[in-house]
Amino acid sequence: MEDLTTNILLAGVGGQGVILASDIMSEVFMGAGYDVKKSEVHGMAMRGGIVTSHFRFGKKVYSPLIKEGEVDILFAFEQLEGLRWLNHLRPQGKVIINDHKINPPIVNLGEMEYPRDIPEIVRSRFKDFYLVKGTEIALQIGDVRAANVVLLGAISKFFEVAESLWLETILKHLPPKVHELNQKAFAAGREQISRS
Amino acid sequence: MSEKEKRVLLGNEAIARGLVEAGCQFFAAYPGTPSSEILPAVVRFKEENDLDIYVEWSTNEKVAFENALAVSYTGKRAAVAMKQVGLNVAADPLMSSAYIGTIGGFVIVVCDDPGPYSSQTEQDTRFMAMFAKVPVFDPANPREAQEMLPTAFEISEKYQIPVILRPVLRVSHAQQTVSFHPVRKMERRAAFQHNPERWSATPRFRFTLHKQLNAKLKHIAEEFNSMTSLNFIENDRDRAVLGIIAGGIGYAIARDILLEKGLQKEIPILKIGTPFPFPNAIVEAFLQKCDHLLILEETEPVIELQIRDKSKVIGRLDGTIPNEGEMLPETIAQVIGDLCRRFSIPIEESTSTLSLEKMVAGLGLPVRRPTLCSGCPHRASFFAIKKAFPNGIFPSDIGCYTLGMNMEAVDTCHDMGAAITIASGLYQAYHQDGKEMPIIATIGDSTFYHSGTQGLLNAVYNGARFVLVILDNSTTAMTGMQPTPETGITADGHPGRSLSIEELVKGCGVRYIRVVNPYDIKGMISETEKAYRYTQQRDGGMAVLIARYPCVIHQKDQLKIKPIKVEIRHIPPPEKGLPPVKSGAMDRSLLPVYQEEACAQCDTCMIQCPEQAISRTESGYVIDYDRCTGCRVCVVECPTSAIEMPSVGACIGCGFCLKRFECPSLVRREDGRVEINRLTCVDCGLCMEVCAQEAIYQVS
Repeated sequence: MEDLTTNILLAGVGGQGVILASDIMSEVFMGAGYDVKKSEVHGMAMRGGIVTSHFRFGKKVYSPLIKEGEVDILFAFEQLEGLRWLNHLRPQGKVIINDHKINPPIVNLGEMEYPRDIPEIVRSRFKDFYLVKGTEIALQIGDVRAANVVLLGAISKFFEVAESLWLETILKHLPPKVHELNQKAFAAGREQISRS
Repeated sequence: MSEKEKRVLLGNEAIARGLVEAGCQFFAAYPGTPSSEILPAVVRFKEENDLDIYVEWSTNEKVAFENALAVSYTGKRAAVAMKQVGLNVAADPLMSSAYIGTIGGFVIVVCDDPGPYSSQTEQDTRFMAMFAKVPVFDPANPREAQEMLPTAFEISEKYQIPVILRPVLRVSHAQQTVSFHPVRKMERRAAFQHNPERWSATPRFRFTLHKQLNAKLKHIAEEFNSMTSLNFIENDRDRAVLGIIAGGIGYAIARDILLEKGLQKEIPILKIGTPFPFPNAIVEAFLQKCDHLLILEETEPVIELQIRDKSKVIGRLDGTIPNEGEMLPETIAQVIGDLCRRFSIPIEESTSTLSLEKMVAGLGLPVRRPTLCSGCPHRASFFAIKKAFPNGIFPSDIGCYTLGMNMEAVDTCHDMGAAITIASGLYQAYHQDGKEMPIIATIGDSTFYHSGTQGLLNAVYNGARFVLVILDNSTTAMTGMQPTPETGITADGHPGRSLSIEELVKGCGVRYIRVVNPYDIKGMISETEKAYRYTQQRDGGMAVLIARYPCVIHQKDQLKIKPIKVEIRHIPPPEKGLPPVKSGAMDRSLLPVYQEEACAQCDTCMIQCPEQAISRTESGYVIDYDRCTGCRVCVVECPTSAIEMPSVGACIGCGFCLKRFECPSLVRREDGRVEINRLTCVDCGLCMEVCAQEAIYQVS
């Protein structure tokens, strides 16, 4: 187990299940024997606003907040939200972005445009970049709500934590009737990384 | 010995754990971000451990405070939780309780919201503690909050004084691995001792109590000086060029930065867990050892102001640390780095992310303001209110529905219950000038129970006349669906007495009360108009509408009884015989044309135009085609059909539904037309009522 703290910034839009995903990650890494700290904002921002969760694990972690420029992995559930927090990454950081777009209200009002070519902008700055078809796969499997489990499957590939621990923890948070669907979603997410 | 159970807990859950480990027997709270998760966690631990703890969601913070205080009078341990602005509501009992004191331990958990993220102010509760003269604990993380609570109860009992625990948002909403200590099964029985000189002290006795309070604080400060679990020095040394005094979250941030920069041996930290009463001796001793002293605390300079000799002090008073906003690690890292360079302390330089920062800032990314959910009944209410009175004044209140400001249907939001009092003040201000303005106030059901009735009683008593719309979704939605007195469900999930808003409003002396279904938008519009007419009648008065429809998130099942699946037509239906709508810029031939000969000069079009594109001239009305979006509202509203516009029956991209209805499931396509996002649409069917082009239709 490495001594250093790993910093993951989860980002998305209220209602996408960002907080649930980071709750699951907390349990997984604690189960794997790490000290875990995370921090997020609840309340009004959740209604369609910007949601982030600062997630840190390591031998001993003090502050729940990650300093700008020290994020090891940016884990974004939406394209624009991936771009928004890019400057929080370390120069050699890893970027995982769900290939999905949600228009902010200001774009709907026609006052601004949704930024174009986000994957290209990210790739030009960060070599270690994965665009995951989380929402698309979840829809194929049959429930858009499984998108965050696809994404958890993807990120799980980057840690030496048993796949079974991930899966057990995820299913614990979900009603039995959707277990099979989410097992598929998790496996599909892992495969997204294997293939790339 | 078996290993202790460990769990990852949210700060607020760790606080709940600390409460049950301290033997708390009574717990009351009013929900408010970032404090709302404490009570449900107390209920969970109570059930897991089969504990006899009384738990209640009180109707407001003052009520919660006084209930818990009384329990402490009987010798039991009691606690209360609220957000920082909630303590303003409970300030009256707080001040007095410091003088009169407690018997059983009494702890007030107040969650601060630096930022602020979900509050009206960034106020620092440690100042409230100083103001009231009660001890305050400032935890740095969830685990410490949990472990401070038994000590807080002991201090409270030993000195018969209320004690405040002040976690900030980054403690309340942080998660951390926490070890469980045994829960304490407290079996104290209520034993109230008659003592009128104390419990109902007259001003003469209050002077004595104040003197006693000052003596208590002196003793507590002495005790804090020697409590090394709360106030301690790390890397203590005889001399240091730079030292840090850190309180609460400031300590957590400082520790990480010193570790990262390899400074933990160079810079000693004095951690202050109890900023009031001030542990002066330990601070003075530390001050002697350091040439310079950086103070890191959230949010106000509470520790800093209490340090007598400020000649070595660096912090907020000299502007080194920002005086507003949350203390961010990157800001503190910058400050520490600058000080190290200034005082020639060797430091590991970190790589700059400036170029990336500039790149992202240069993109000017669109912000993402919060919006009401798809299918939210408040959206329907606000649409109807704005439609009925486009030029009205709209005082509102605190809750999800503050987001009605996106629809220009909320003008003010001040503090809990102020929708009603601001509305009566506005009424009186205009009435004094002999002018009547349509004032339509909105307040949520939970906010109305919290502090609506006093304002309403006052409005009726003093003859104010406005329309009050109580947005009743039968839950406290914004803070996480806590029950209200109307549902009658108690904090631990048992059925209690259900209260009726109608009866409460009637009891306040209101004679005009109507219950409306906001999902019937047309009905809601006409009821709002009728209610205003009542306020204008000679024998009229206050009018109250109760817009009742369950929260779509809380009770999704109720909404899905009759789903109305809608679609947006992008090509006109064949019977219209019109060409397809062109993409891109608005087709001028599709915009409205004014016909003077049919016009009755009634101003309806001018008032109703949401873009203020219609103005009156000597020869009738003029449409400003630079502002006109073609929303068709004027055509529909004109009573004499004096405005003509081709009826395409398809989306022409006017954007009315996006701007005026603002449903997150209505999305602008690249060609400017609107489509429905099926991933988030809840099939409420409301947008069908909104589109004057008749482009949105029900599919079977």
